[in-house]
Amino acid sequence: MLAAQGTYIGGIRLRSVTGIWFRHALVLRRTWIPSSTWYFVEPFVALMALALGVGALVGDVDGVPYAQFVTPGIIAGSAMFHAIFECSWGAFFRIQKGLYETTMTAPVNTREIAMGDISWAMSRALITATCIGVVAAILGWIDPFTVLGILLVAAMIGMQFGAMGLIFAALSPNVHILSLTFTVVASPLFFFSGAFFPVSVLPEWVEPIAWVAPLTPLVHLARGFVTASLDISHLYSALYVLVLTAVMFPISVRLLHRRLVK
Amino acid sequence: MNGQSDNIVIRASGIAKLYGEVVAVDGVSFEVRRGETYGLLGPNGAGKTTTMRLMSGLSPLTGGELTVAGIDVSRQAREVRNVLGVVTQQDGLDTDLNARDNLVVYGFIAGLSHAQAEERADAVLMYFDLTDKADEEIDNLSGGMKRRLAIARAFMTKPQVIVLDEPTTGLDPHGRNSVWQELETMKQAGVTVFMSTHYMDEAAALCDRLAIMHHGKILAEGAPDELVNRHAGTEMAQVRVSNGSRQDVVKWIREEGFDYREAGAMITVASRGGVRPDLSALDGVRVSYRPSNLEDVFLTVAGTELTNE
Repeated sequence: MLAAQGTYIGGIRLRSVTGIWFRHALVLRRTWIPSSTWYFVEPFVALMALALGVGALVGDVDGVPYAQFVTPGIIAGSAMFHAIFECSWGAFFRIQKGLYETTMTAPVNTREIAMGDISWAMSRALITATCIGVVAAILGWIDPFTVLGILLVAAMIGMQFGAMGLIFAALSPNVHILSLTFTVVASPLFFFSGAFFPVSVLPEWVEPIAWVAPLTPLVHLARGFVTASLDISHLYSALYVLVLTAVMFPISVRLLHRRLVK
Repeated sequence: MNGQSDNIVIRASGIAKLYGEVVAVDGVSFEVRRGETYGLLGPNGAGKTTTMRLMSGLSPLTGGELTVAGIDVSRQAREVRNVLGVVTQQDGLDTDLNARDNLVVYGFIAGLSHAQAEERADAVLMYFDLTDKADEEIDNLSGGMKRRLAIARAFMTKPQVIVLDEPTTGLDPHGRNSVWQELETMKQAGVTVFMSTHYMDEAAALCDRLAIMHHGKILAEGAPDELVNRHAGTEMAQVRVSNGSRQDVVKWIREEGFDYREAGAMITVASRGGVRPDLSALDGVRVSYRPSNLEDVFLTVAGTELTNE
């Protein structure tokens, strides 16, 4: 028997989590050329179009140039799509193809599978945020030091939307229902998150809804770093996101367990 | 633990699994000895896969006791998987990775260091004659290759027991043959194999001992030839009857006390205690004899054919 007993922290077998992360990293290494379009090219094209096109029309927004205003929004959106895609679409097919069942024939439990996938969702969010953030800084749209703040927010996005994605993956009976994750959840969240315009311009009755939607506080937080305007509202945003994540994670584990262990 | 029980790797005592009202495994007991290939033979829905999932700690037991290498499965489901190599019915290969990386990643997740996992992957590929497929994409492998790779993957951690659920279901004859060879290789190496199958010939060819399973229960257990001798005799008489003679033939068989089954114009009669049923005196029948097999055993003990509807 070669298998080591392994290191446990609070009942979590570390190798299960790092092993799953390693698997995802290996897949990215094999597919990085096409994947780079998702991590960088596509979101950057969107950012360019908005910064150069819409930016030319509207001038300053909330006291900063539109390029600076919209960059944290696009980064937050890209980070969200990466995290939710990995943990809903990706995880759904790993359930379907019996890959999780195989993983669990090693000494791995469902909580560790969730943690492995969410840790990778965070990595994806960080990769895309780094790519766009660095280029936006080189273009002079944002201060290079604020990229660090953006990365912190990207990690929070990865965690929250990773857990949310797993919930959808575990609940979806088929791929058609699963696709609602994007059409009904992710896209509306993105468009009403304040990424493109301040939430305050929305009609009065829409504004509270936009604030409750889980991407909005993260866009707010990222923008707080970029425009160096952090105040108490950003602390509330961070707390809201952490509470939401803390609630969704155990739910995702439970649903995944119900799906995998019968 | 005394010397005798040291030799027992798997011990199941009255194990049961309920899914709501449905009884999937109904109080099953058996013991598997070190180094033997032990099989569960039965049709789909007999409870074989559930038994394997219980053993792998992938499904919680509803009742009974199950130990693998001295580890109590219901209390230490995770630890059991340290000593088992499990091959599920779905190969569960990772199509985003090549063949070798499938092994490396599994070994790493199972607890090997990265260097150990790479070294072991190369050794396992060589051992199962898959070295030239190391860099192949999974989608380019044949069904038999995929199944062999899945078995190789279970071998990564040098497990004490290999658990194999339906190793050749869905494979063409060539793939089936190559999997059989792989299992033979493992057997030569002294690995304990716990497998399930609904193929009578597979059970006869691979298993040292087997349990006949039906409706969640074990109906008979023993070495394949021993089971055949005990439950189906050495020979089966196959009697082709004409319409007029059927009643007389059945009456004769019942009076003589032989087991039989009717299928169309064919009545199959089991021999009993080495006595072959001599129907030559009856009118309007044609009799031929063939050696008994495990399907006959299944029919005798389960009262129904070993077919998968």
